[in-house]
Amino acid sequence: MTPPLSICFLRKGESAVITGYRSHEVPIKVYEMGLLPGVVLTMKQRLPFNGPICIYIKDNPNAIALRTAEADLILIESLP
Amino acid sequence: MTETTIALVGNPNVGKSTVFNRLTGLRQKAGNYPGVTVEKKTGNFSHGHARYRVIDLPGAYGIHPSSLDEEVVYEVLADPANPNHPELVVVVGEPFNLKRAILLYQQIREMGLAAIFVVNMMDEAERAGLSIDAHKLEKVLGTKVILTDARSGKGIEALKTSLQHRPGDHEPVFSIPDEYSDAAQQVKELLGLKNDYMAWLHLSQRRNNHLAEKEAAAIAAIQRKNKINPHRLQIQETLARHTKLNGQLTHIIKDPAKKREHVTERLDKLLIHPVWGYVVFFVLLLLIFQAIYTWSGPFMDAIDNAFAWLSASASEQLPAGPLNGLLTDGIIAGIGGIVIFIPQIAILFIFISLMEESGYMSRVVYLMDRWLRPFGLSGKSAVPLMSGAACAIPAVMSARTIENDKERLITILVTPFMTCSARLPIYIIIIGLVIPQEQVIGLDLQGLVLFGMYILGIAAALGSAWVLKQLMKTNYKSFLILEMPTYKYPVVRNVALNVWDKTMGFVLGAGKIILAISIILWVLGTFGIGEQFTNAEAIVRAQNPGITEEVLENEVQSQKLEYSFLGTLGRFIEPAIEPLGYDWKMGIGLISSFAAREVFVSTMATVYSLGSTDDELTIRERMAAEINPTTGRPAYNFASGISLLLFYAFAMQCMSTIAIVRKETNSWKWTFIQLAFMTGFAYLAALLAYQLLK
Repeated sequence: MTPPLSICFLRKGESAVITGYRSHEVPIKVYEMGLLPGVVLTMKQRLPFNGPICIYIKDNPNAIALRTAEADLILIESLP
Repeated sequence: MTETTIALVGNPNVGKSTVFNRLTGLRQKAGNYPGVTVEKKTGNFSHGHARYRVIDLPGAYGIHPSSLDEEVVYEVLADPANPNHPELVVVVGEPFNLKRAILLYQQIREMGLAAIFVVNMMDEAERAGLSIDAHKLEKVLGTKVILTDARSGKGIEALKTSLQHRPGDHEPVFSIPDEYSDAAQQVKELLGLKNDYMAWLHLSQRRNNHLAEKEAAAIAAIQRKNKINPHRLQIQETLARHTKLNGQLTHIIKDPAKKREHVTERLDKLLIHPVWGYVVFFVLLLLIFQAIYTWSGPFMDAIDNAFAWLSASASEQLPAGPLNGLLTDGIIAGIGGIVIFIPQIAILFIFISLMEESGYMSRVVYLMDRWLRPFGLSGKSAVPLMSGAACAIPAVMSARTIENDKERLITILVTPFMTCSARLPIYIIIIGLVIPQEQVIGLDLQGLVLFGMYILGIAAALGSAWVLKQLMKTNYKSFLILEMPTYKYPVVRNVALNVWDKTMGFVLGAGKIILAISIILWVLGTFGIGEQFTNAEAIVRAQNPGITEEVLENEVQSQKLEYSFLGTLGRFIEPAIEPLGYDWKMGIGLISSFAAREVFVSTMATVYSLGSTDDELTIRERMAAEINPTTGRPAYNFASGISLLLFYAFAMQCMSTIAIVRKETNSWKWTFIQLAFMTGFAYLAALLAYQLLK
């Protein structure tokens, strides 16, 4: 079985929909920021050397930056 | 007439401070919340017949706190006994993230507080073609909704009028899940709460700091007995609220969702680019430091001349002697030594608040996170470290947005290593005395050494952060979740108010200390006990027969100083500082520097003028002429000068910083460790440098 995909697996410019979380220990901020199941997001950019990533939630002009450790907790399903 | 207390609450980046500044104008003041130094802004204004006191609470995404900032919001709102507990809450949101703000609004209403709702930044929504049906929103929220654009002032009058509005009862949106109702009931009885949601809130906190120890322990016991994981309760609540809201908002927000290439996206292509983003940031840093030095030049010269004139005329008006020296060299020169830094500090804070206001600061956090993480810091530490180049006090306070306790503590502990502006007068005067005015590969050597001192400060901060990271353990996971808002033109008014607050805070704080130290020094240096002090003249005469009257007077003065209380103190610590290359007079400067570094120069001026009758020389000339009585060499030679530079680079010599660290860490242990580590390290570095160079 392939491991479930997380935001971490997205390449620049790819979009996905959030399906759930990898653990119960996801910081409350993730939820408060609106990274919730069903939300569509786009990978905007990744910084080199495993630096933080930058994503956009659909129709929201504000970007969100996450470390890869947090991004890996959020599970997704790729969108074409 | 009684005042109504209202509180502004909202998510970060919604223009809440702009709303606050619009409401109160200049009638506002910054202070601290009791117990923590999270900055509190309050202001007053009247509208019609009503008078209001407005509190600008820190930005929060939800009521459940995950940083010190958000803890303040929770405590002020949850505790009716809190002196800042409001009668009315104004919840501020922005059109693109309305759901978040409504979530916070519902939580506040369900806590039993009255609230009205503001949608700010409507101008941006209009430009994007997004519209909000305020009437429908009012029905859903059950309160008054005001659409504003605080930057232009649109809607502010309507907001002021609406402050009289008190909404009716709020129908709870969130109902406590059945499996927790027993535990919630127990908390409700324990605390005598009227409200189910308040019981739930207490149950879903990891710590209940605002409660008495006994009650907090009782809640912890209830949590344990019912196997409650507070974190999961918070998640459950947030998810439930979001699900409900999704359905309710569909008819209220009309978003054509047309493809909009925002200016922000285009700017970010450069500003957070994996390569160019860093280039831009470092060029900007260079530009800022360049600006601090070149732009401040004329202002500093003007201030310098004004104080020199003031000092000279005071010196002429008053009879010569030690009191004259206290006033002119001690107090006036000391205050001048602070005022002269206003231009530099103001310029730095202008840049910092421009970066914050425009939204660029969050990009700096994003860019720097990867490079600060190995040192046990977070990207958010970049802000305190940069502000530390102006003054450690506001810098330490700005660490409060760091969620992780360990990262926050390390940031606070290492920030005072950054070269603050108080170190500058010492660096400049010592470098001027001991570093030759030469050109090295086309660059000014003195300037290079000064630049080197800045690099040294950064290296010391990062190095000790790394050491602390190895030594400290943490229970909380470190994380970075950061919103990067759209770029905005900074509001001049916000920047001006911020710069004014920060600069005045620095000047008044340091001014008080200088005044006090100067007077204490003067008293200690003018009086003494013992044969050597009271009989100074006879002793000098006996030792130097045939001495001329003029030389005699000078000798007597310095004999008196040496045996005054101050001199006794200086000679007492001399054995400890002699290996560093300092004489006892410099020792006095060192001791008084523990109140604040910047008093070193004024202290030396007081000490040297007490010890002579000659008032003509400037501080610098006097320091250059001073001979160390033990070594017979100039007191400020290359070896002792470098040793002094290193000591001031590393030692924790600022009472205000110590006080703020104590408050912010809420721990004497860490405050003491910081003081001992920095000062011990400074001593060793200075010792090594002097012994190798002498």
